[in-house]
Amino acid sequence: MLAFYRALLHLYPAAYRCEFGGEMMDVLQEVQAEKRKKGALALLFSGAHETGGLVFGAVRERFYKLTGSYDSGIFSLRRRFAMKSEFRFPKSTVGLMVVILAAVLFTIEKAKAVSASIPHANPPVGHIEPSQITVLPSLLITMLSAVVIGVIGWGILYALRRTGVQQLSEMNPAANQRGGE
Amino acid sequence: MEVSEPVLLILLSLAEHPRHGYAILQDAERMSDGRVRLSTGTLYGALARLLDEKWIERFKEQDSSRGKQAYRLTAAGRRNLQTEVARMRRLTRVAGLRVARKET
Repeated sequence: MLAFYRALLHLYPAAYRCEFGGEMMDVLQEVQAEKRKKGALALLFSGAHETGGLVFGAVRERFYKLTGSYDSGIFSLRRRFAMKSEFRFPKSTVGLMVVILAAVLFTIEKAKAVSASIPHANPPVGHIEPSQITVLPSLLITMLSAVVIGVIGWGILYALRRTGVQQLSEMNPAANQRGGE
Repeated sequence: MEVSEPVLLILLSLAEHPRHGYAILQDAERMSDGRVRLSTGTLYGALARLLDEKWIERFKEQDSSRGKQAYRLTAAGRRNLQTEVARMRRLTRVAGLRVARKET
């Protein structure tokens, strides 16, 4: 991972890299050591966070080198104190989205393979004997679909619980007011 | 120079005593109760701006075996931070009064 960060530092202008590159690598090393103690998931999210920060920082510095200004809206660090919401995107949602994306990509690839294996001219289909129909594959597919839908549903509910949406809906302003009086 | 939340947290972290990069990251996260997690890229982007504006200065830590670079507030930086904190104090006081008036 550190080699990857080092490679990303090459996106920065040379002068900036000379001035801060060594220090940044020291900090990245310390962050990585700390996250490793917290587990693989923490390390993964920290890696994504740091990668985003490095890429965005490099683009900002390149922009500054070109224009001599940071005041371009999204790159600006000079904006007035920005109120950040207490809302934090639950980490589980990111994992869930990755799983869904992987499933979609897998399905597309599978569909392409099936499409390639079928000849374009459909062969004539003769009479199908009842013994030729097997229930097992369709049953397996149904069960698998149910499990996948269940997992996705659970993931969504888990994500909502992490965001506290259901706690908000359970709040009763009238009861709270009475409690406060 | 106007102050964003990450920049304010960096300045507040250095207001106590000089710190090096990783210590600033940890302190910013602690001060914001884990809400603001600065990435290394964001931290050094902000530090570069603050050095440019001469709000902070860099020096080599003497007691560190690796001679780490540390950062501290300049007199101008501390003055600007005090101005910013005073502005925020006024704003929160007005906000408190307005909210209280609305509730009564």
